[in-house]
Amino acid sequence: HLLFTLALICANDSLSASDDLLQWPQISKCRSPEMETFSCYWTAGNFYNLTAPRIIQLLYKKSNEEDWKECPDYITSGQNSCYFNASYTSVWTPYCVQLASKNEVYDKKCFSVDEIVLPDPPVHLNWTLLNTSQTGIHGDIQVRWDPPPTADVRKGWITLEYELQYKEVNETKWKELKPRLSTMVPLYSLKTARDYEIRIRSRQRTSEKFGEFSEILYVSFSQIGIGCDHCTEEVEFPWFLVVVFGVCGLAVTVISIMLSKQPRLKMLIFPPVPVPKIKGIDPDLLKKGKLDEVNSILACHDNYKTQLYNDDLWVEFIELDAEDPDEKNRASDTDRLLSEDHLKSHGCLGVKDDDSGRASCCEPDIPETDFSASDTCDATSDSDQFKKATEKEEDLLCLDRQDNDESLPSLANTDPQCQHRNTQSESSHPWAPFADSIESPRPLVHTQISNQNSLTSTDFYAQVSDITPAGRVVLSPGQKSKLGRAQREGCIEQNFTMDNTYFCEADVKKCIAVTSHEENEPHVQEQSYNEDGYFTTESLTTTVANFGGSTAEPPSSEMPVADYTSIHIVHSPQGLVLNATALPVPDKEFNVSCGYVSTDQLNKIMP
Amino acid sequence: TKEGVTSLPICPNGSVNCQLSLEELFDRAVKLSHYIHFLSSEMFNEFDERYAQGRGFIAKAVNSCHTASLTTPEDKEQAQQIHHEDLLNLILGVLRSWNDPLIHLASEVQRIKEAPETILWKAVEIEEQNKRLLEGMEKIVGRVHSGEVENDIYTPWDGLPSLQLADEDSRLFAFYNLLHCLRRDSHKIDNYLKVLKCRLIHDNNC
Repeated sequence: HLLFTLALICANDSLSASDDLLQWPQISKCRSPEMETFSCYWTAGNFYNLTAPRIIQLLYKKSNEEDWKECPDYITSGQNSCYFNASYTSVWTPYCVQLASKNEVYDKKCFSVDEIVLPDPPVHLNWTLLNTSQTGIHGDIQVRWDPPPTADVRKGWITLEYELQYKEVNETKWKELKPRLSTMVPLYSLKTARDYEIRIRSRQRTSEKFGEFSEILYVSFSQIGIGCDHCTEEVEFPWFLVVVFGVCGLAVTVISIMLSKQPRLKMLIFPPVPVPKIKGIDPDLLKKGKLDEVNSILACHDNYKTQLYNDDLWVEFIELDAEDPDEKNRASDTDRLLSEDHLKSHGCLGVKDDDSGRASCCEPDIPETDFSASDTCDATSDSDQFKKATEKEEDLLCLDRQDNDESLPSLANTDPQCQHRNTQSESSHPWAPFADSIESPRPLVHTQISNQNSLTSTDFYAQVSDITPAGRVVLSPGQKSKLGRAQREGCIEQNFTMDNTYFCEADVKKCIAVTSHEENEPHVQEQSYNEDGYFTTESLTTTVANFGGSTAEPPSSEMPVADYTSIHIVHSPQGLVLNATALPVPDKEFNVSCGYVSTDQLNKIMP
Repeated sequence: TKEGVTSLPICPNGSVNCQLSLEELFDRAVKLSHYIHFLSSEMFNEFDERYAQGRGFIAKAVNSCHTASLTTPEDKEQAQQIHHEDLLNLILGVLRSWNDPLIHLASEVQRIKEAPETILWKAVEIEEQNKRLLEGMEKIVGRVHSGEVENDIYTPWDGLPSLQLADEDSRLFAFYNLLHCLRRDSHKIDNYLKVLKCRLIHDNNC
């Protein structure tokens, strides 16, 4: 065998006219079109020409047989082929075939018939028009065909899949459809102006290989009279324009974003120190002096009110304030509140503007001292705004700057500090630091307030029962009425500097004295806020109430809050203890001022 | 592509004593048999690609399957001449004979070194679907059979030791053979069922 090969190669080299390579006879393929017969094909190669002619045989053997048998039919399938008809074919039986001449075996193949199934192409291709588009440019067709005649599909012996391919006549690439079992398929959106070619091939369903293609089917719409030769070409999607415009739009957007964001970039890079904020209050408003707006914001918030009554909030305030070392030296609450120290009159005595959060407690107690001028100053207002306010004395306060800016400094001086030291007493009521219930003319108030520049160490507290939308603080009606009564009784209005923000000591005494004799005052006057402002002391009202017996009206019909009582104890710097009972007689320590009445003093004043 | 076989409810709408028609039973059986053959074919191809190249397995072509002892129709003529009850029994016999080998195939194939995940899950899937097909066939036989149902057709399988040979080559050749036989037998069953369906349901006019 080896020698023979060498001889052939040498012989091959000497030949120049014929093919350079020697090709052995080879079995090219074995194929069964319908799983009933099969054929094997081979190539003789050029060997046959080179040497003495030899007869090539195809031998086959079933796996369960011993002997090789010769091909039963060399003719039916053409030259160099062997055809096995149905009687020789066993489908699932392994066969081996070999190509041999007398002594040589040239090639050998083993297979089983079910593995070599390659169906014939489908026949009888045709197409029908389904519909055309409104413009007549496109049309849908249905293509039908028949399975290959050799395949016995009807009895289910073989199951075929079909693949359809189509293209325009002048195109080179075929479009394929997914293989399917049915013998018809629709083709959509074909251009009626163009002609198409269609071809189909089939395979056994679980095989991978397809058989040959069918004959080509030509589709021409003009043949059936709906060709649209003069139709305009379909406008292709203007990709170029889309891209250009898209890029331009994007660029414009990016640039505009960049430009508009520039001021904010600074904010992003250097963010401001975060401080607690109240919802809805923009610290910038304070800076710019738009206190009215801030006021309205404050007043409008419902949770503003609720916060007023949140005891825990107060406790926290107190706690924090208490720890401030700067406070330790303060003599009295009021002193602290009304500290002349401008550093501290920033609204928050002794509380530095750091991140401790204490500064957030800062509330413009100013409302206490200055009702007329103050709008509602939220106890829980934005510490941030107050911090900023602290930096600018005139900004402090009850945000009511609409009238007199110049009066503010004075107010600032008398600024209460934020802290309300209220240790809890039985009447634990949150207190409105500001009680701005004054609707009296502000200018008047301001001037009056300015009269009260002097600071006293008087502590003056009242209970806020409600906040009007306008931003005024409504005091507990009982107190109001009481006070009103008290005023009526004997507290002549002019004795009271204005509308009452503060009660001068003398006035207080007067009032008290007068009212003490009054009892059961029938009418409770609905005083305007002018008079209410703050009632410094609950003690005031309380005592009035005490003396006056039960008031004509319940203290507060709307709210279930008790009146404030007098300040019982001042644990400076820790807080005040309110006392529901009568107050002690004021003593000489009582400073003459219409600022705060200190609790002690008040206690002493009150019987 | 993986062809999924969804599980159709036996009794839609919750009816209690519903019965599937014979046509529906055959439809499901054919779907299952096609799916099993499809999986077997793919599994064999993957195994061939991965393990059999260069080892000359094809050349050996011994391929004696354990079900060879069952005389099943080998061409269309025989398939058309055999009585449908006999054919059904034969199908059942082949399916039962494969129960055992499939179980072991699923477990032993995991011991092949670095067996691909696709082969592993296919083996498990085939084993599962074969059981379902067996149940379906028993239902069909119950409907179609007039007389007794033969349970005798069955060939035991003794190829487990060959799947556990120490020599890797021999072991892989045993797998190759088994997968080859599986592909062939699943094709047989698929074909027989289609022939029966066309004959019984569509009156030879599929």
